[in-house]
Amino acid sequence: MANSTVKTIADVEFGGELPSFVPDTSIEATRRFGKYVGWGTPRFTDHEGARKEGLPGAIVPGVMSQGFLGAMIHRWAPNAEIVAIDTVFRAPVQVDHPHTITGVVTDIDEDEGTVEIDITITNEAGETRVFGTATAKLPT
Amino acid sequence: MAEEAAVDEDIQDLRERFLNREFEEATFEIDGSRFAEYAKVCGETAPKFTDPSHPDFQAPPTFVSTLVGGRNTPPDFPRLGGMGMDAGKGVEWKAPVRDGVTLTGRSHLHDIYTKTGRSGRMVFLVTRMELYDQDGTHIANADTRTVIRERPRG
Repeated sequence: MANSTVKTIADVEFGGELPSFVPDTSIEATRRFGKYVGWGTPRFTDHEGARKEGLPGAIVPGVMSQGFLGAMIHRWAPNAEIVAIDTVFRAPVQVDHPHTITGVVTDIDEDEGTVEIDITITNEAGETRVFGTATAKLPT
Repeated sequence: MAEEAAVDEDIQDLRERFLNREFEEATFEIDGSRFAEYAKVCGETAPKFTDPSHPDFQAPPTFVSTLVGGRNTPPDFPRLGGMGMDAGKGVEWKAPVRDGVTLTGRSHLHDIYTKTGRSGRMVFLVTRMELYDQDGTHIANADTRTVIRERPRG
């Protein structure tokens, strides 16, 4: 596993795994997101309301899932500047279900001071729900 | 699922008519308390994202994905046969978003492409909002990828 307190690009290993991160996917979290940020409709904040829309229960807004990915990178490397992140929503992240985020370093450009990271949100069955790639700049 | 080797004729027509044509401008008053809450609920712990008193207080880069305009396609864009779903978000970060700034978002269709699988063709629309501050500095690009799974014909 990669160093969990990465300060400079020299601390990063190619193929190294970021410390896994368990995001808060509780209904309280999506309600708070809905109250302060947006996406406060029942499909995100109320299981019964979501079921009325044909969903198995409330789901986490995609923009919140993307925020989880950014947070994971900053927890791993507090000095990192995320210069690009692309997120693919493959399947819903269900509220009140445990999910885990994992990441791996797929490229290091020491001249540019950047690293590329693949990040995945999986559910308790190990199914990929969200996949992302990020480019982060680190001090050299 | 394989990506199309060549662009379908109807998609090429849409690309020629609509790509890179600005169709909306929106303004956003950035409230630091809102992006601080966004940061905390997403799991950020760095004070520069969560503490308004931090000297480098700024929004997490992904925050710009929460800034949405009124529409994802130009007003004269044709209705495609199928339901649109949010397939993903992308951000290109260029400079920090600070508390109290006013951002202007200018939207255009950045890409249109297809993928074809066993269940038929899916059309992907990438809407890009370019965000600028009051001085005209380009702060970020926020992309929304919408997928439309076409209904079978016949």
